[in-house]
Amino acid sequence: MSRYRLGYPAAALAALICLAGAACSAPGSSSSSSAAGGGTPSGPIKIAVVDAQSGSSSDLGQFEYRGVRLAVGQANAAGGVDGRKIALSLLDDQGDPTVGTELARKIASQGAIAMLGTAESAVTLAMAPILASEHIPNITSGQSTKLLALNSPYLFLNGPTGLTYDSTLAKYLVQKKGYKKIALLTNNDSYGAGEHDAFLAALKSLGITPVADKVVPQDQTNMTPALNAIRGARPQVLFIGAEEAQSGLTVKQARALGLTAVVAEGAPAGTPLYLSTAGAADANGTIVSSPYLGNDVSAASRKFAAAYTAAYGSAPELHGAKAYDGAEVMIAALKACHACTGLALANAIRAVHYDGLLGSFRYNKQGVGIFATSIGIIRNGKIEPVS
Amino acid sequence: MQSFFQTLVSGLSFGAVYALVALGFSLVYRTMGLVNFAHGAVLMIGAYVASTFTLSARLPFAVAGPAAMAVTGVVGLVIERVLRPLENKDFDLMLIGTIGAGTVLEAAAILIWTSAGRGVPSPVRTSPLVLGGVRIPPYDLLVIGITAVAMVALTLFLQRTKRGAAMQAVAMDHEAATAAGIHVGRSNAIAFAIGASLAALAGALAGPMLYVSPTIGDSLGIQGFASAILGGFGSIPGAIVGGLGIGVIGSFAAQSFQGYSDLVTFVVFTVLVMIRPTGIFGEKTVNRA
Repeated sequence: MSRYRLGYPAAALAALICLAGAACSAPGSSSSSSAAGGGTPSGPIKIAVVDAQSGSSSDLGQFEYRGVRLAVGQANAAGGVDGRKIALSLLDDQGDPTVGTELARKIASQGAIAMLGTAESAVTLAMAPILASEHIPNITSGQSTKLLALNSPYLFLNGPTGLTYDSTLAKYLVQKKGYKKIALLTNNDSYGAGEHDAFLAALKSLGITPVADKVVPQDQTNMTPALNAIRGARPQVLFIGAEEAQSGLTVKQARALGLTAVVAEGAPAGTPLYLSTAGAADANGTIVSSPYLGNDVSAASRKFAAAYTAAYGSAPELHGAKAYDGAEVMIAALKACHACTGLALANAIRAVHYDGLLGSFRYNKQGVGIFATSIGIIRNGKIEPVS
Repeated sequence: MQSFFQTLVSGLSFGAVYALVALGFSLVYRTMGLVNFAHGAVLMIGAYVASTFTLSARLPFAVAGPAAMAVTGVVGLVIERVLRPLENKDFDLMLIGTIGAGTVLEAAAILIWTSAGRGVPSPVRTSPLVLGGVRIPPYDLLVIGITAVAMVALTLFLQRTKRGAAMQAVAMDHEAATAAGIHVGRSNAIAFAIGASLAALAGALAGPMLYVSPTIGDSLGIQGFASAILGGFGSIPGAIVGGLGIGVIGSFAAQSFQGYSDLVTFVVFTVLVMIRPTGIFGEKTVNRA
C-alpha cells in the first residue's frame, strides 16, 4: 500500500480530532476575558464563571455568562475594585455534576478567589463541598432547597429558592383564583424533583391534594401518556416542574391532546425558550411565578435590558438577570472588603445590601438573599405582571 | 380503552421518527458493516437546516424538508469520503472516525446556530381528528405516512434499480462485487448519502414535534439505534417494525412507570434482544474488519 493511502486516513482522523478539540469545549476548557494576572494584590482579581457551554443546558449557561460579563464589564469600565480589574475565566461544566467536581478542583488550583454559577442545582450541589474546603465563595443560580441543607458559609443564591417560587404560585392559584383541582407534571432531575416537593408541600399547607401527580424522565420527549392520564382527572390547573424546553413541549402536547387546564409554572415559563418551544398560542394564559417578570417592569430592568441588548444583540431574560445580580453582589462585596478572599469575602457577600433586578438582596445565614417572587401571565407571547 | 388508543397513537408517531432514524443506521450497516455513530449528529444538522429554511427563509415545509435532505446528503458523502481509505483496513478506526465526525458536526452546529435551541411550529395547523374520544394530531399522521413512503421508496430502490442491486451485492460479498466491476466506494458513498438524508428527514419531522437543539440527535439517535437492533440490524422492514415497537413500548412505559419509563423501555428491549439476538427480522450481518 502506498504511503499516501496509509497517511490519508490518519491525517483525516487527526484533523477530525483537532477540529473537534478546537470547536468543542472539553471538560474544564476555559476562555478568559483577561489573559493577564492572577490573584496578586496588584494584578487582576480572578473570578471563575462555571456554566454549561455545551450539552442540553448550554443555552442557560450562555444566558448566565452574558449577564456576568455585562456586570463585570461595567465594573471594570468604572475602574474595577480598588483600581484592579476583574478577570473572568469561563469553565464549561456541560451541565454534568461530575465535570463540576473536576472544575471545582481546577478553580482552586488556578487561583480564582470566587466563583459565579452554575445554572443548575445538581452541579452546584456536587461542587459546593470542594469549594467550601478550598474557602472559595460561590454565588449560584441554583434554587434547590437542598443547597440550603449543605449549610456552607461559602454558598449563596442569586435568586429565591424553589420553595419561594412555588408557595407564591400555590397561594395565588388556590387563595386568589379559587382553583381546587390541580394536577402536577414534573420531571425527575434535581430541578423537577425540587419543584415537585416544593409545590406539593405548598399545596398541602393550603389543604389541597392534587388530582393527578405524574413524573416523567428528564429527557422525555413524549409527554402524551402522562398528559392523557392527567386529562382523565379533569384538572383546572396543570402545574409543570421541568426545564424550559421540556415545559414548552409539555404545553404543546397538552393542548394537542385537548387539555385546556390553566398552565402554571415557576421561572422557566417566563423565558423566551419556553415561549418558543410551546408556541405563543399554546403558551397563552400560562401563569408564572418569577422574581423577574420581563424587561419593562422597572427603570432598572429597562436600563439593564438596554445595556444587554446593546452588548449582545438580543434581549435578556431571567437567567441573564439573575447572573447579573449575582455578579453585582460579588463586586459590591469585593469593593466593601477591598478584594479580600476566603471566609472574609463570604462574610462580605453576606453583608451586602443590594437593590437589584430581582429585588432587594439581604442574605440570611443559609445564603438566601431574595425571598419573594411575583405572579405574571403570558399574553400574546409576552409575560405581564398580574394586576 | 380510549386511554389505551391515545397512548398507542402517541407511541406510533414517535415510533415513526425512530423508524426513519433506524432506516439510516440499517442502510449503512447492511452496505458497509459499519455502525455510523455520527447518525444522530447528522439528524441534528438536518433538523437545524430544515428549521432554518422554514423559519428564516420562510420556505414551506414541503420544500424545506427535501432541501435539508439534500444538504445532509452532501454531509454524508463528505463523511464517507473521509473514512473511505480505512474501508477493509481498520474497522475500529472507522468507528472512531464516525464518532469524531459526530463531534465535529455538533460543534459546527453550535458555531452556526449557537447552543440556544428553537421551537418549530407545526406545518399542519388543523385541529386534531377525534375518533371515539381519541385525539389524533394530523401532523402525527403526516409523520407516519412519510415514514411509510420512505420505507417503500428505499425498498424499491434497493430491489428494482441497478444501483440498488449493486449496493445489495456489495453488502453480500464486496470482493465478489468488486470482481464483477461494481465500484464498492461509490456504493458506500450512496449508502452514506441516503442514510444521512433519512436522518435529515427524521430531524425535519421531529423539529415541530420536539425542539431543535444541538442535542436533539442524542436521544433520537439512541432510540433509533435500539430500533434498528430490535428490528434486526441491516433489515429495512425491521427498522420500521423496530422503530414503531420502541415508540409504542416507550409510550406505554411512560404511562405506567412514569419517571422510570426509560429504564423499563430498555429492560424490555434487552429482554427481547436476549430472546432473539438477531432482532425480529434478523439478517446475516456483514463485517469488513
